[in-house]
Amino acid sequence: MLPAIIVVCALFLYPICSSIFYSFTNKNLIRPTYRFVGFDNYATILTDKSFWNAFLNSLKWTVFSLIGQLLVGFTAALALNRVKHLKGAYKTLLIIPWAFPSIVIAFSWKWILNGVYGILPNLLVQMGFCNEPPQFLTEKTLAFIVLVLINVWFGAPMIMVNVLSALQTVPQDQYEAAEIDGAKKWQSFLYITVPHIKVVMGLLVVLRTVWIFNNFDIIYLITGGGPAGSTQTVPVYAYDMGWGTKLLGQSSAVTVLLFIFMMAVCIGYFAVIGHWEKEDK
Amino acid sequence: MKKKLALLLAGVMTLSAFAGCGSDSGKSDGKDPEQVSSINEDGELEGDITFWHSFTQGGRLDTIQAAADKFMDEHPKVNIKIETFSWNDFYTKWTTGLASGNVPDMSTALVGHVVEMINSDALIPLNDLIDEIGRDKFSENALNEGTVDGNNYSIPLYSHAMVMWVRKDLLEQNNLEVPATWDELYEAAKTLTKDGVYGLSFPCGSNDFQATNFLNFYVRSGGGSLLNDDLTANLTSDLAIEGINYWLKVYNDCSPKDSVNYDVLDQATLYYQGKTAFDFNSGFQIGGVEQNSPDLLQYVDCYPIPTIDGSEQKGITTSNQPIVVWKNSKHPDICKEFIKTLYEEENYLDFLASQPVGMLPSVAGIEELDAYKSNETIQQFQHAEEVIASQIPGGTAIGFEHGPNLQAGLLVNQHVIEEMFQDIITNGTDVETAAKAAEEELNTLFEAAVQ
Amino acid sequence: MRRRQGRVGNAICHVYLLILTGMAVFPLLWIIISSIKGKGELTGDPTAFLPKTVTLDYFKHVINDLNFIVNIRNSVIISLATTVIAITIASMAAYGIVRFFPKFGSFMSKILVTTYIFPPILLAIPYSIVMAKLGLTNTRIGLIIVYLSFSIPYAVWLLVGFFKSVPIGIEEAARIDGANKLVVFGRVVLPLVAPGIVATAIYTFINAWNEFLYSLILINDTGKMTVAVALRSLDGAEILDWGDMMAASALVVIPSIIFFCLIQNKIAGGLSEGSVK
Repeated sequence: MLPAIIVVCALFLYPICSSIFYSFTNKNLIRPTYRFVGFDNYATILTDKSFWNAFLNSLKWTVFSLIGQLLVGFTAALALNRVKHLKGAYKTLLIIPWAFPSIVIAFSWKWILNGVYGILPNLLVQMGFCNEPPQFLTEKTLAFIVLVLINVWFGAPMIMVNVLSALQTVPQDQYEAAEIDGAKKWQSFLYITVPHIKVVMGLLVVLRTVWIFNNFDIIYLITGGGPAGSTQTVPVYAYDMGWGTKLLGQSSAVTVLLFIFMMAVCIGYFAVIGHWEKEDK
Repeated sequence: MKKKLALLLAGVMTLSAFAGCGSDSGKSDGKDPEQVSSINEDGELEGDITFWHSFTQGGRLDTIQAAADKFMDEHPKVNIKIETFSWNDFYTKWTTGLASGNVPDMSTALVGHVVEMINSDALIPLNDLIDEIGRDKFSENALNEGTVDGNNYSIPLYSHAMVMWVRKDLLEQNNLEVPATWDELYEAAKTLTKDGVYGLSFPCGSNDFQATNFLNFYVRSGGGSLLNDDLTANLTSDLAIEGINYWLKVYNDCSPKDSVNYDVLDQATLYYQGKTAFDFNSGFQIGGVEQNSPDLLQYVDCYPIPTIDGSEQKGITTSNQPIVVWKNSKHPDICKEFIKTLYEEENYLDFLASQPVGMLPSVAGIEELDAYKSNETIQQFQHAEEVIASQIPGGTAIGFEHGPNLQAGLLVNQHVIEEMFQDIITNGTDVETAAKAAEEELNTLFEAAVQ
Repeated sequence: MRRRQGRVGNAICHVYLLILTGMAVFPLLWIIISSIKGKGELTGDPTAFLPKTVTLDYFKHVINDLNFIVNIRNSVIISLATTVIAITIASMAAYGIVRFFPKFGSFMSKILVTTYIFPPILLAIPYSIVMAKLGLTNTRIGLIIVYLSFSIPYAVWLLVGFFKSVPIGIEEAARIDGANKLVVFGRVVLPLVAPGIVATAIYTFINAWNEFLYSLILINDTGKMTVAVALRSLDGAEILDWGDMMAASALVVIPSIIFFCLIQNKIAGGLSEGSVK
C-alpha cells in the first residue's frame, strides 16, 4: 500500500512542482534552455482580456452544466427508484450517453445539429418551426447553450447512477418505521432520504465541479472555443497556449492559477461536507 | 505519523525535482546517442529500426509494409517495426516523445513540424541520401522546406497541391464557365447558391486553419504574402484587406452560415455530399467523394486556383510530405538505406497507386512511366491529375515562400486569422480594426516564440 | 387515496423516464442506423431517418480490414484489469479509512481529490518519462498502472461516501454474533454498499475504455492500441469515410453498455444475495 502511495504522490507531485517552477520561466515546450522571468507570465495572463473572457465562460459553463446534470440526474434517479416495471431497461438505456467517448459525442452532435445536412435543423424547418435552419453551434449564445445541454446530456447519467446507488443503500426499515409513525411521503424524503444520501451527493458535486471545469475535449472538438471566443473556457485557452505556441511557461502559469482557484472551491466544498458529517454524528 | 508523512513528501519532492533536472539536462546537452556502424562483420546490415508513419488507411499502410517486408528479406538481420498514428495525433506523440526519449528512428512529418524538429535539434541531415537518389530529381522548393544552413533535414516522399474543385454538372446546367478570376468565382458561386446547394463554403472554425489557407490563396495569387520579408505578420496590406473582404463577401452570399465554425472535415463533407459547387482541396477530394457519394464522382473535376486578374496560376499551396530521420536513432544508415528503397520504381509506383491523384510523385520522371499513367483512376481523372501536377512545382507550404521558418507554423496553428474572421462575422467588428488587432497578436506570438 | 396518488405518480415517472430515454438513446440509434445505410444514402436526404437498403459492409470493413477487433480486445483487457484491480484496492482502502483511521483517511482522500484538479495533459510528459524509466512504455501493464493512478483516488473518494452510509450498528451486531473483521467486511458491509461499488466500477470501466491521451502517448505498437486511438485515426485521415466512422463509433460505445448490463445483473445481484435486508 505504501509504495503505491509513494508512486502516486511522485507522479502527481512532480508535474505540480514542475508547473509551479516553469510558470516563473520562459520555458518553451520543446526547447531545453529557459530563464527566470519572475511574475511576468502571471502579469501577461492577468492583463489578457481573453483570459478573463475564458474565465467567465468557464464559470458559466461549470455552474449551468452542474445544475443541469444534478437536476436531470437526481430527478431521473428518484423516478427510477419509484417505478416498478421496466426499471432495468430504463437504467440501461439512460446510461448510454455516458458511454460515449468525447470524439463520438463531438462528431455525432455536430452531424445531428449541422445547419446544412443535420437531421434536427432540417426537421425543424420541414415541420415549419422556423424558416431557416437554426445555427445551433455557430450563433454565439445558442452555441453556448447547446454545449451546456450536450454536457448535461453526457453527465446526467453518471449522477443518476450514483444517486440511485445511494438511494438503494438507504435501509428500507427506516421508511417502514416512518410510515408506521404516520409520516408523509415528503417528510420521509426530507428526513430519511436526504440526510442519508447527502454525503455521497456532496462528494459527487466536488468531483463533477472539478471535472466540468477542467473539461477540454467536448468544447474543443465541437466548437474549438468559437465563434469569436464565445465558448472559449480556460482549459481551451491554456491548451492553445501550451501546445499551439508551446509557451510552457505561460500555460503553466494558467494551470497554477486554475489550480489555486479550484483548491479554493474545493476547500469550500470540504467545509460544507465536513459540517454535514459532524451533523450526522 | 504526520511528521513521517511530511518527511516522505519532502523526499519525494526532492527526488522528483532531481528527476526533472535530470531529464532537462539530458535534453539540453543534445548528446548524440551512440551511433555504431550498423554493418556487422559479415558486411550485412544489422539492427532494429522503428518507423512511425501516418498512412493509417488501407492501401498506403499495406504498400509501406510490403516495402519493409521486402527490405527485411534482403537484409535478414534488419528488423523494421512500423507503427502508425493519425496526422492529428502525431504532433502530441512526438512532442511528448521527445521529452521522454520515446521517438522513432525515422518517421513521416508535416512540413511545419520539421522546422520545429530542426529547432529542437532532433533530426539528422539527409544530404547524402538525397544525393544518392539524385538531387536534381526533386523540386527545389520541396527540398528547401526542410533545409537549414545547407543541411537537408527532410526528404519529400510524395506531393500534392491545393486546387479548385468544381462540379461540372452544376456549371453546365447553369451555362457557367470555369472561373479563372476571383470575381468570376464569386459570381459563379453566387449563381449556384440555390436549391439547397451552396456555391462555396468559407470555413473559419477556430480549431483549424482553413481561413488562413483561403486568405493565403487570395493574397499569394496577387503576388503578396501573409508574412513580410522580416517574418512579421502582414494582414493590413491593401491586398490582405481586399482578401479579407472578398472572403467575407463569399461567406455572406455563397456559404452556409454554419461555416463560421467549420473545420476541414466539415468543409470537405459538404463537397462529398454534393452540397457545395466549389471547394479548395488536394487530390484526396476524389477519394472522399468516391467513399461517400459514388454517384457524384463523374461530375468532379479540378482547376487551378483563380487569380485576381486572370493571369496564369502557377501554384500556391503545395504539400511535399517529408520523411525524417531522428537523431536518437542508433541506426541512421539502415533508415537511409530503407528510405532509398521506397523510391525504387516498383515500390514507389505501388505506393502512389494506393492513393491515385491524391499522392503525386515528388521525384521527376515517374509521371512519364506507362505503369503510372495506366492506373485506372489516373486515367479517369487525367485532367485533374495534370492540373495538380502543374501546380506542385510553383507552390510551397503556407508561409514557406520565405523558406523554412517558425513563424509560418504559428501563422497556421494559432488560428488567429480564424478568430479574426469570426470576430468580424459574429461581432460585426470593422475589417481594418480586426485585421490590425490580429496582425499585432500574431507579431506578439512570433516574438514570444522565437526569442 | 394513497394508492391512487401512487398510481398517478408512477405514471408521471414513466412519462418522464420515457422522454429522457428518448433523448439518451437518439444519438446512438442514429449512429447505428447510419452505419447500416447503403452507400451514398448517408449523404442523401438529411431528414430520412430509416435506411432504404441495409448493409453491414461498413462493419465488415472496420472489423476485418481496419483490425478493430484487435483494438477492442486490447481495450477489454486493459479496462477490465483496471476496473477489477481498482475496485478491489479501493473498496478495502475506503473501508479502512472509514472504520479504522477516519482522521488520517479523510485528510488523505482530500489530498487525493486535489490531484484530480490537475489537467491530464500536463501530467502526460512526466508520466511518459516515469514509464520510460520503468521500462513500461508500450506495454499494456504500463497503461493499466497509469489508469489505476487515476481511478483509485477517484474510487476511494466515492466509496468512502458509500461506506460512511453503513450504520456501524449492523457491523457491531454481526461481530457480537462472532464474525471476524474480514467476514464482517465480506458478508455484511459489501452487500450493503454493492450499488455503490457497481456505480464506481462502471465509472472506472468507462473512463479506462474511453481514455485517449495516455493510450496514444504510451502505446506505440499498432497491435496494442486501444479503440479510442483507433477511432481517432479514422477521424484524422485525409479521406473521411463517414460510414466507417459510424460503424466504428457504434463498436466503441456498445461494449460499455454490455459491461453495464453484466455488472448490474450479475455482480450486484450476487453481492446482494444473503444480505441483511
